[in-house]
Amino acid sequence: MPVERQEIDLDVDVLFGVVPSRRLDASLEAVAELHKRHRIRRGLVCSLRSALFDACTGNDEMRKARERAGFVPVGAVDVRDALTAEAEIERLVASGVRLLRLFPPEQWVEADSPGLAHLVDVAVGHGMVLLTSGDLSSFWRPFAGRGARVCFLDVHAYRVADFVVLARREPGFVASTRMLCGPDSIERIAGEVGAHHLAYGSRAPLHDVLPSALRLRTAGLDDREWRQVAGGTAAAWLADPA
Amino acid sequence: MIIDVHGHAGPWFFSTEVGSVELNLALMDRYGIDRQIVSASEAVTYDMVSGNSWLAEVLETQPRLLGYVVVNPNDLAAAARELEKYRATGRFVGVKVHTTYPGQPLMSAAVRDALGLAAEAGLPVLVHTWDETVLGLVDVLERYPDLRVIAGHMGGPAWRTAVEAARRSDRLYLEPCCSITDRGRFRYALDRVPLAQMLFGTDSTLVDPAVAMGVVLEADLTDDEYDHVMGRNAAGLFGLEAETDPTA
Repeated sequence: MPVERQEIDLDVDVLFGVVPSRRLDASLEAVAELHKRHRIRRGLVCSLRSALFDACTGNDEMRKARERAGFVPVGAVDVRDALTAEAEIERLVASGVRLLRLFPPEQWVEADSPGLAHLVDVAVGHGMVLLTSGDLSSFWRPFAGRGARVCFLDVHAYRVADFVVLARREPGFVASTRMLCGPDSIERIAGEVGAHHLAYGSRAPLHDVLPSALRLRTAGLDDREWRQVAGGTAAAWLADPA
Repeated sequence: MIIDVHGHAGPWFFSTEVGSVELNLALMDRYGIDRQIVSASEAVTYDMVSGNSWLAEVLETQPRLLGYVVVNPNDLAAAARELEKYRATGRFVGVKVHTTYPGQPLMSAAVRDALGLAAEAGLPVLVHTWDETVLGLVDVLERYPDLRVIAGHMGGPAWRTAVEAARRSDRLYLEPCCSITDRGRFRYALDRVPLAQMLFGTDSTLVDPAVAMGVVLEADLTDDEYDHVMGRNAAGLFGLEAETDPTA
């Protein structure tokens, strides 16, 4: 494996906080240690408190991550409360947060939820980049036709064809590599629609990091494509070319 | 020696070019896998008889691959014939039972009886497990004293339940391949399940072996754990101990 493929520049799928379903150290310190061990330089980090309990105090907690090198703060809202979420998006934007993570399955929100569609519109209107969990085959719809820049964090190898046909007409659609686990999944998307439709994500600390990192490091991409996936795509969201 | 106990051979209907047996071998080479035990994707998803037949031909020319006879629980009479036919070749060392494609829940009578056929044939069975019903395998193992079952994917999202099941029966083995890579899952199992019951599987070529390799390496195995998980336990389970050079 080439030495230059050891260091991954940006991980788009990072969380911290408390994991009620697991006995797991998901503190910011633990996440930083995981990234260091796996040679990941930076992460887009979002608070689990925002996702699972209270978006406002979770986002306040998340902003403190700014004080720590290696983390770029990502806001979150609770789609179940779209009214409060509207105001929270305004507050996030005012404080300089440019990325918004949505947790529809974790918040038991269906893909055709009116609140979800509305919040996507509000966020896109503010020029935010969206990160979302959920099965692509159903959760593509609220993001389509809006000029959204969105990273789908749960695109599975089985959904590669669905993603490719969507990305052909949605220039802002990006797939996280975490579950693109087939031997040609990453390569196929890069070949069909370009590596700028891909970004590395690990879901640290909830998931083991090495499986996704090793798959990316062994991916059959040329050097330019590899750098794009390993950080270039996400760096462009930050107006911070890698 | 690294033995991958959960491999596939043949194409799948997803957007992925995994139909060539040469890909099995290329991925084995990339990750240092010596032997891989595979089932025919056609037999799993569609036609047991023609799929097993295709795999038998493949195995004649591929010494690094060994086979699972796929058994469809919906036709136990035909399944018994398949077992009799292919066990004698010496190239099929186990049985594969899926639940999704045959549309039979893991705890259905049909699956239970299919497992019974494998017990009669004296072959270990790789079973697709993906939910809490993995615990029910303990009852099936009690029913068939000669049965040995590998819980494929270690129960998937129900991995904690799979661990509980493996603690209740020393004939229930766990292998970890899964696209859901919950952190610490494999170490959790290693710390609770007797080491002899832990195996290595990749789901290749449907899934790149990097994923299962990453899961296992994240568990920081001791040398002894690594030796047992990656090859020794599988060699004993499938009777491969005497074989050191599959290409000889």
